[in-house]
Amino acid sequence: MTGQEPPSKPHGDDGQNPPDTGMGMTAVSYLLGGMLVWGGIGWLVDHYAGTKGIFAGIGAVVGIAGGVYLIVRRLGA
Amino acid sequence: MIGQSTVLAAEFPPSVEDFYLPSILPWGAHDSYWFTKITLLIWVSVAVIIIFFLVSYRKPQLVPTKKQWLAESLYGFVRNNIAVEMIGPRGVAFAPYLTTLFCFILLNNFFSIVPLIQISPNSHIAFPALLAVISYVMFIYVGVRHHGGLFKYLKAALIPPAPWFILPLLIPIEFFSNFMVRPFSLAVRLFANMFAGHMLLLVFTLGGFAMVSANVWFTPFSIVSWIMTIALTFLEFLVIVLQAYVFTVLTASYVQGALADEH
Repeated sequence: MTGQEPPSKPHGDDGQNPPDTGMGMTAVSYLLGGMLVWGGIGWLVDHYAGTKGIFAGIGAVVGIAGGVYLIVRRLGA
Repeated sequence: MIGQSTVLAAEFPPSVEDFYLPSILPWGAHDSYWFTKITLLIWVSVAVIIIFFLVSYRKPQLVPTKKQWLAESLYGFVRNNIAVEMIGPRGVAFAPYLTTLFCFILLNNFFSIVPLIQISPNSHIAFPALLAVISYVMFIYVGVRHHGGLFKYLKAALIPPAPWFILPLLIPIEFFSNFMVRPFSLAVRLFANMFAGHMLLLVFTLGGFAMVSANVWFTPFSIVSWIMTIALTFLEFLVIVLQAYVFTVLTASYVQGALADEH
């Protein structure tokens, strides 16, 4: 594919990493992770407290908020 | 006419059973999966990759031969466009592993569209899972070594720059997305793509036979179905290359994350 390209790029010209495709996956996994982890904890609380799902709902919302916050802090400027 | 579909020894709605091919070493033995076509393909791919790179690099020349050019551009592609691009200058150290990973996945995926082979070992979750475990252990090891100790690495990986009172909320999310989702999604993404691709080809191929044997007047539809199979084979080629690339890029990105200092 890039056979024409000279095989050695200058090492260490600058230590900058360009924006990468891994970022999208990280963002998605933070969002889903936040919802699943805190929603799951909320579900457990529901299970033991005998409530009908209020804590799972609160947990999912809180988890999403945490995920968004993490995306902003880790991936944002 | 009914006998036609049994020529393939597979009934129409293809099932997971179609991924478990008959045993080779105890020839034709049932329920023995120690040496099947899948096993054979894995060893063939390992042998092909080793022999190809050894042969093409045995007498390296300034003006490369065709084989040498292919090997060099494979390695150069992974090194420049994946390793250095994602990890930075330190990525050169990971280029050999990433190249091996890329070639292995690419070749094994490619088996799914080679005529007469047409199944990829990666359509069994065990192989993507093992590859994911290798990448997982590697990026954790790299992170531990880079940060000088397991706890220092965990501190860098799990504790985001945030006020202390939000940390209890964030650390579980970080743990979940960094150490639980990553290997799982690596393995499942590759496996599911290969599994679905094989299943799709099976549906259209066997569906054609099923329609012919159900009624002769359905023959035109069968032919359309087989043409679809050929078209989907080309689509599969895209998926094959893309998935090999994605697996390698994500591994590189995890290594980059493990090597990253404070953001």
